[in-house]
Amino acid sequence: MDMLIARDVSVTASFDGGIVPVIQELSFSLPAGRILGLVGESGAGKSMIGRTIAQLLPPGFSVASGELMFDGQDLIRLPAETRRELLGRDIAFVPQEPLSGLNPVLTIGRQIDEHLGRLNFGHARLRRERALDMLNAVHLSHGADLLDKYPHQLSGGMCQRVLIAMAFASKPKLLVADEPTTALDVTIQARIVELIAELQSREKTAVVFITHDLRLAAQICDNIMVLYAGRPAEVGPARDIFSNPAHPYTRCLQLSNPTVSGPRRDLYALPERMPGLSAIKGIVGCLFAARCPNVIEACTKALPPFIDIEPGHVATCIRPEATKAIAPPGLQRAELPQAGQPLLEAKGLTKIFKSSHGFFRRTAFAAVKDVSFTLNEGEFVGIVGESGSGKSTVARLLCGLEKSGEGAIVIADRDVTDGGAVSRQHQRTHVQMVFQDPQSALNPRRRVGSIVTQAMEAAGGSTSAERLSRAEALLSEIGLPPEAALRFPAQLSGGQRQRVSIARALCVAPNILIADEIVSGLDVSVQAQLLNLLMALRRRRSFSMLFISHDLSVVRYLCDRVLVMRLGEVVESGPTEQVFASPSHAYTRALLAAVPPDDPTVIWNPRGAEVAAPVLTATL
Amino acid sequence: MMTGVLPLVGRRLVASVFILLIVSFLLFVVLHVLPVDPAAMSVPPNATLAEIEAKRVEMGLDRPLYVQYGIWLGQVAHGDFGTSIHFRRGVLGLVMATLPATIELALLSMIVATVLGLAGGLLLFHTRGTRTEKAIDFGSILLLSTPEFLWALFFILMFGVALPLLPFTGRLDPNMSLPAGTGFLLFDSLYAGRPDIFWSAVRHLIMPSLALGIAFSPTIMRVLRSSFLDVYQEDYIHLARLRGLSERRILLRHALKNAILPTLSLMGVQFGFLFGGTLLVEVIYSYPGLGNLMVDAVRNADLPIIQAVGLAYCVVVLMINTIVDSLYLVLNPKLRLR
Repeated sequence: MDMLIARDVSVTASFDGGIVPVIQELSFSLPAGRILGLVGESGAGKSMIGRTIAQLLPPGFSVASGELMFDGQDLIRLPAETRRELLGRDIAFVPQEPLSGLNPVLTIGRQIDEHLGRLNFGHARLRRERALDMLNAVHLSHGADLLDKYPHQLSGGMCQRVLIAMAFASKPKLLVADEPTTALDVTIQARIVELIAELQSREKTAVVFITHDLRLAAQICDNIMVLYAGRPAEVGPARDIFSNPAHPYTRCLQLSNPTVSGPRRDLYALPERMPGLSAIKGIVGCLFAARCPNVIEACTKALPPFIDIEPGHVATCIRPEATKAIAPPGLQRAELPQAGQPLLEAKGLTKIFKSSHGFFRRTAFAAVKDVSFTLNEGEFVGIVGESGSGKSTVARLLCGLEKSGEGAIVIADRDVTDGGAVSRQHQRTHVQMVFQDPQSALNPRRRVGSIVTQAMEAAGGSTSAERLSRAEALLSEIGLPPEAALRFPAQLSGGQRQRVSIARALCVAPNILIADEIVSGLDVSVQAQLLNLLMALRRRRSFSMLFISHDLSVVRYLCDRVLVMRLGEVVESGPTEQVFASPSHAYTRALLAAVPPDDPTVIWNPRGAEVAAPVLTATL
Repeated sequence: MMTGVLPLVGRRLVASVFILLIVSFLLFVVLHVLPVDPAAMSVPPNATLAEIEAKRVEMGLDRPLYVQYGIWLGQVAHGDFGTSIHFRRGVLGLVMATLPATIELALLSMIVATVLGLAGGLLLFHTRGTRTEKAIDFGSILLLSTPEFLWALFFILMFGVALPLLPFTGRLDPNMSLPAGTGFLLFDSLYAGRPDIFWSAVRHLIMPSLALGIAFSPTIMRVLRSSFLDVYQEDYIHLARLRGLSERRILLRHALKNAILPTLSLMGVQFGFLFGGTLLVEVIYSYPGLGNLMVDAVRNADLPIIQAVGLAYCVVVLMINTIVDSLYLVLNPKLRLR
């Protein structure tokens, strides 16, 4: 029986005085006990579909036509009060950000209890018992302690488990999971996905699983809908879509994602960005045409209809047969500079954070323990590990943002461990850092031109005309037009801001770039653009880079050598291919097992992650 | 719930000692600079220069300033705040007789400001994006830009003179006498079983506390509204809706407790200003509190009283800040130590 059926749903927004389509021609049916994956980049309308199901649309947005049948009732036309009764009871939600999904001033117990109270689970003691059972079902131990905790005392993975427990408390018929694992570490992601799948198959829940990760969706979903600018691009059985994509967008998404196994290949970088709300209205024809490698004149004339590829597999493309021909540019590794002399050496780095509670109680926590490695000229070295593994602290130590407790740092033949003025000057001219979140790393009150030449301004002795021409040169190098120098960061997209952040680091022409998670949080197509940019810069400028990331596939694509960190220590290091193909440490194996395989026909066994996991989640 | 409150109060007490020392020294220095001669004021008007000089030596005024401060501090430490030059009475007694009146007025005004502020803030938030919001917003700006003494005068004209509904001088009707006790009239009258005195005291407090409270409410309104707007952007509010909770429950159970936090720290600061603001209102309503005592003391250059009243204001403000911060700690689990 179909639990959720969408029939030609369209959502519009009033925007700039006009009506703009946000979701167009959305149709699908989701039987009980099945998982439908909604895949696409940000702005594709995935989350808007989740909000449409709950009918909690942002102001100015409304459903223009179509019907959304849930268990025989049309959610769109249901009176608000009746619909509210369904929410949290028959339709449950799991959010993207588990930490902010729980109220910070109420204990976990109070929040669960409030939910159970609404679901009529009897009196207080019964509700408490039920709450403990629920926490047990999501594999959270120490349930009784947990009930008295506040959300900030829990890790993101634990919060997500609590939210999943609440979502399944009422045995819902439909679960909408909106990027439930995006904010979590890879190993935690695998276990959360597994948990949802476990409860889902036990309760025969229909699940709408929203994700940007096509690989993940191919593994866990029965059906996938790929969305582009609010319109379905391709719908069909998960494996078909992954192994035989018919829409160029699906194919490009796949090719722009680096892999963890198989031969290394270059990334396909989709140009530009998905059209925003203001642009969609002006587009005649296929919404993807402007970025499509297979575009022909007919594509820009009319909106492509849904075309059957195979039974149950449709795509909105008029030349699906050409999609297979899309291929990434060939691998150009041969041109890369060869690694030379050691440029940066870390010897026995240790960093201990002390925190004090009250007058007497003090605790010490070693974020980095005895870390030693070298970075050679022209070499890209990756550091991987989960959050809390100390990888960011290593970056901060090397930049001089943090002073190490023990150990030595030698940069370009000079020991800078003392942290004195001369050392710091030396450090600054050789090492520059690019931060994770460009939004907060760029001063919102400065123009791009002055941001990227901050180092020149600080050094003094340059005229503003010199700085402007330097800024324009830097911007052209990172692929932004010279006019961008006059913009403010808020006027740029996320990917463009990260480019500006890179340009700023390149201003002093450093030998070493330290990049801390610089592509996480970006869409795959933007990530591919940035990774290709880094490769191009590497060819042109021959600098060394320390690339910190939790994403193993990105590190595999970019780095020659890799260090695996866990709880402040380097547990394994070596050439990337060797470490990824035959990991020697159990933790590395666990990390690799947690990544959904590139081939959807391979059975994903994230249980491999079990080896290392107990230590990681033992934060209570 | 109380974890961390006691250490906080302890730390505040230690800090308060230093703050009080600094404030008292500043008071001492500033008053020393005033062109008045306490010795000349402490002797009969027909005293000779020699007699004044003798008094000066007796009072220790010929010694260096820091020695004088030391002497004064030593006496204060023993509870001796000196004798009023004008009233010829112990300063401590004078201050203790007027302080409760002022605290009563300030507390009542704060209650008025809080009730109006919270109600106005909720109303502003509830009507967000409508014309009603704009109207209330305009009203709140009008309240914000009218100082408390204008309200005081306006109320006297309205409810004292044009419509003589309420009394507007003193704390009690002239035919009543203060019951003995703590000095807090509302409390003492109820304790003594005298509802007539209680009622009279309330009637006398209505106009001054309204004048003060109204003047301080709009800031609370506006901060509460903006923190509500912030809180409603949070994921947990959205998720509470997705769990099917009613809007009313989301507002009162989930949003209010989060939105009240910034408002609360503002109210702590506000109360300090409000306590200072009682001065003008007390003078306008001839309300026998600390403010009137202070004004008289300044007019008479009654240095011991000015010093003691200045310190009293300081102590009260420090106490209020400690209470507000403790409350903040209790309400915000993130600040509590694990």
